[in-house]
Amino acid sequence: MLLSFNWLKEFVPYTGTAEELGNMLTMLGLELEEVLHPYAEIGGVVIGRVLTCEAHPDSDHLHVCTVDVGAADPLNIVCGAPNVAAGQLVPVAPVGSTLPGGLVMKKAKLRGVPSFGMICSERELGLTDDHSGILVLPETSRSGHRLMPGERFVEACELDQEVLDISITPNRADCLSVYGFARIVGAYLGLPVTRPAVHLQETGDDMSHAVPVDVQDGGFCPSYTGRIIKGAKVAPSPAWMRYRLHGVGIRPISNLVDVTNYILMELGQPLHAFDHNKLAGGRIIVRTAREGEELTTLDGQKRVLREGDGLICDAEKPVALAGVMGGLETEITDESESVFLECAVFRPRSIRVTARRLGLTSEASYRYERGVDPTGMAFALDRAATLMAELSGATVCRGVCACTPQPWKAPEVRFRRSRAEALLGVALTDEFCASTLECLGCTVDRSAKDEWKVRTPGWRYDLTREADLIEEVAIFKGVDNLGETLPSIPQNLAAFGAPEGRHAFMMRIKHWAAGLGLNEAVNYSFVGNKDLDFLGLPPEGRVNIMNPLTAEQDVLRTELAPGLFQNVRQNIAQGANGVRLFEVAEAFRLDASSETTVKEVRHLAMVLYGARHDDVWAHEDADMDYVDLKGLVEKLFAYLRLPLPSFSVEEHSYLAPAVRMTMPDGTIVGVIGRLKPALADAYLARKAVWYADVDMDYLHAASQNMRPVFQSLPVFPAVRRDITFIAPRTLHVETLLESVRGVKTSLLESVELLYIYEPEGSADRNVTCRLTFRRADRTLQDGEVDKEREKIASALVKNLGVKI
Amino acid sequence: MDLLEQLNGLAAKLEVRLSQAATEAELESARVDFLGRKGRLAELMSHLRELSPEERPAFGQTANAVKQKLTAMLDARRAEQEQAAESAFLASFDPTVPGRTLWNGSLHPITLAMEEVCSVFRSMGYEIAGGPEVETDFNCFEALNMPPEHPARDMQDTLYISDKVLLRTHTSCVQVRTMMSRKPPLAVIGPGKVYRRDSDVTHTPMFHQIEGLLVDRRVTMADLRGTLTAFVRAVFGSGTRVRFRPSFFPFTEPSVEVDMSCTRCGGHGHVDGQPCRICKGSGWLEILGSGMVDPAVFSAVGYDPEEVSGFAFGLGVERIAMLKYGLTDLRMNFENDVRFLHQFPV
Repeated sequence: MLLSFNWLKEFVPYTGTAEELGNMLTMLGLELEEVLHPYAEIGGVVIGRVLTCEAHPDSDHLHVCTVDVGAADPLNIVCGAPNVAAGQLVPVAPVGSTLPGGLVMKKAKLRGVPSFGMICSERELGLTDDHSGILVLPETSRSGHRLMPGERFVEACELDQEVLDISITPNRADCLSVYGFARIVGAYLGLPVTRPAVHLQETGDDMSHAVPVDVQDGGFCPSYTGRIIKGAKVAPSPAWMRYRLHGVGIRPISNLVDVTNYILMELGQPLHAFDHNKLAGGRIIVRTAREGEELTTLDGQKRVLREGDGLICDAEKPVALAGVMGGLETEITDESESVFLECAVFRPRSIRVTARRLGLTSEASYRYERGVDPTGMAFALDRAATLMAELSGATVCRGVCACTPQPWKAPEVRFRRSRAEALLGVALTDEFCASTLECLGCTVDRSAKDEWKVRTPGWRYDLTREADLIEEVAIFKGVDNLGETLPSIPQNLAAFGAPEGRHAFMMRIKHWAAGLGLNEAVNYSFVGNKDLDFLGLPPEGRVNIMNPLTAEQDVLRTELAPGLFQNVRQNIAQGANGVRLFEVAEAFRLDASSETTVKEVRHLAMVLYGARHDDVWAHEDADMDYVDLKGLVEKLFAYLRLPLPSFSVEEHSYLAPAVRMTMPDGTIVGVIGRLKPALADAYLARKAVWYADVDMDYLHAASQNMRPVFQSLPVFPAVRRDITFIAPRTLHVETLLESVRGVKTSLLESVELLYIYEPEGSADRNVTCRLTFRRADRTLQDGEVDKEREKIASALVKNLGVKI
Repeated sequence: MDLLEQLNGLAAKLEVRLSQAATEAELESARVDFLGRKGRLAELMSHLRELSPEERPAFGQTANAVKQKLTAMLDARRAEQEQAAESAFLASFDPTVPGRTLWNGSLHPITLAMEEVCSVFRSMGYEIAGGPEVETDFNCFEALNMPPEHPARDMQDTLYISDKVLLRTHTSCVQVRTMMSRKPPLAVIGPGKVYRRDSDVTHTPMFHQIEGLLVDRRVTMADLRGTLTAFVRAVFGSGTRVRFRPSFFPFTEPSVEVDMSCTRCGGHGHVDGQPCRICKGSGWLEILGSGMVDPAVFSAVGYDPEEVSGFAFGLGVERIAMLKYGLTDLRMNFENDVRFLHQFPV
């Protein structure tokens, strides 16, 4: 909301600066964004009197003028405006002054004649869009000050130099007008607030029945009033009104329309001026629309209406979208001379539904959605009618056409000082509470000492409950002046000994991963459907966003892979040699059994790409591979004290090889694999991209009660023997090791892979295993160990066909 | 030559040999040459049988003495060499060689900031609560005193999954879920991702919030002020000033915004005569929103507003991270450039 500081001061004698006012309002919950100086750029423009005006010797449209700007000598100025003439009082931008857009005036020569400034049009001054000629000023300002050459234009013409930009929260409908702000400033500072003067002169016959008003739904429109103004001459509004509207961001149109906007800004009451003569049948019907009804609004758009939209109709047709926008057909034109001026209140919610659906937010609908003061209607209507008559030479007809099916009744709200004290944690007196409420416009019935009955004013739609009144008391007390205490925090006995929470588990995993040297990534939860398609992921179960910002973000990710692969791409593009990322986040799938129709599963995903070690010395140069990533995964299971899953190759849409991880209980807990080279190109990857994904929610549940169990250390030494098997490359290591473990022997404690050698050009490879033998009760003899080793070796030769 | 003489002469010969032995290998070859199984001493000893029985004891004693002497000479020389090697190692040791690093792991700055905030409240006794990121309209809006068509819904542009299901726009849904499933008193914080249909220099469509909620019999606004002042000081230092000013949230009444003194200019509003670019000259930074739980929210979750009171607050994690770590570009948070991530090692 743009609040003109000067305009405000017309209603309340505030003596501080605009900045001080802004800071005070901020602490009242009306946050100052900034103080604007809409005319700061034309601060150097002065008032000038055109002394002489001759035709330019070398031009058919230029004039050579001498202009008195209050200095010893008049300025020589070449002016191209058709309306310039001697004797005029005009705004002059002398050499060195600036104009909007940062243009600095310089001495110029126009067709040989030197010019020391510019006589300005309204557009050149940034006042309005009018550029038909120079601005000719009246001899006196609006307040009666005589304009003198040399005076600064902005000040002498009383332009609103300071405008406060204040953000208004949706509850404060009462502060959507200059007068509303005056009311708050007056209440808070104890200053008198004066309403703008209205000297309504009703002439002619009583016209209060000339336009019968029929409101069909009092819930939608509690009160509808209108006045008839006759004999208007449409013309531009006077300068002060145009500049003032322009300064708060409203485009001046004509005297009649500008008045409605002026009153809207001043009093917060939206008004609509109909061309009275175009209202068919001379009547107003307020009703809700029928499905499919049509209306062309002021902006020329044809609107198709839905049942429930509020309409203002004449005897034949809709003429306005109630509270949102007027109709084109009955709008005020230059020929209009008789006006039906509407002043009404509508149910906020209905206006909002219509305005939202049509994407049509106007200054009027913005205020109606939040609530317009029903007790201020009559005054606003009279003030607007008076101003219209004044500015257009019209007369206001006697009487008001009205229909008020639901007269306003002040809501009654209870207020207990004890309750306020309990909630705010501060001692309050009855006097403070009562005077606060009263200066806000409430009437306070204190007949019951402990529970007052408070009637709230019509402009405070936000004061409907005791809590609302307590908030006002807190604001007047100053929320920054309440005490500061640290509450004792209720402890929850049930929380002690409860299983580790989901968040704590996630944090533990994140620290684990970062501690191992991975970098945590955070990606958006949404991706594009095409990203999922690209990875060959099934369309079923995807959670689509109804109103995505872009097609790149139109679906919730079903896996973390798309984001991490993009990160790999991004980092390769930035020249990274090695990328080691992890992310812990939710994956989303449709699930009809869920309350939210979506199932969210938390995943841990890791991606490894490129150099195993960063470009540092003391490490050999090699690229990361399956063994690196699998090592991380194995460590994860060890960290969580879970048994290792089994690893088996599966078909996968974007990984090859893809290794499925299956827990001993049969649960598939994740996958490790290499991004298919055909897909890797898209991510700029020239080396293998290794990716792993693990179901965190499963790990969380499964690791819940896992704890280390101590085993006694062996007393007698172990004896180790290595065996190298020559085996086909297709024989998996795990098969070999399992086969070793499967041999019946009482001495073998464990077997581990020691080394793999793959001779070039051979289909076989050498797999060296280390066998550890031990007895719990005595030291082993070499002979018995050798016998065992032989037994194992020959068993494998027999069972697997390997060679030793 | 007499065997004894030859024996006694070995020491002098070894002396010469050792004086030329510069390396470990040369030393070893000298040892093998003199003391080895086929060495000079062994060769002389093999002549023992040729001596008369009377001569043998004296020869044997001399041989032993010579063996000890030679051994001692070799040991001394070896020790000398080791000493020299150790000295040389120490003299040339370079303490400035870079260490053999493992991978430099890191936690995302958002995670770090979130952890810091959570740990402050955990230390006060708050429990961590959670909820889904896809939420019902009821939990996200209606129960929080934002019925359909409430103008406050304009404050947040929502991403919808269907008419009644959406991506939560704030972590305040966690309040609803917690209160619906538990009885008061309770003290919880709810960290998590939230989503809005908004993307520009200062907004990303996904960001992180932490919700806080305290409900008990006699919670006051002074408690809210004390708690949040303590929080701001814990995270930004004890000298940080805190300001409360009225605001509006549909789910709290009274509602306040909490500002803290600017981290860059210390609340002066200017640095070196220029308006501070972080607080835009005001000296204050908006840090979180809060208020006393609105009675309508209590009613929606089945609590009696006459029996309990409470406060709630919500803060933006990115904002905390930006202020704490001096981040300048919000969007960088989601690009995951390793050069960025590496700046937050753990």
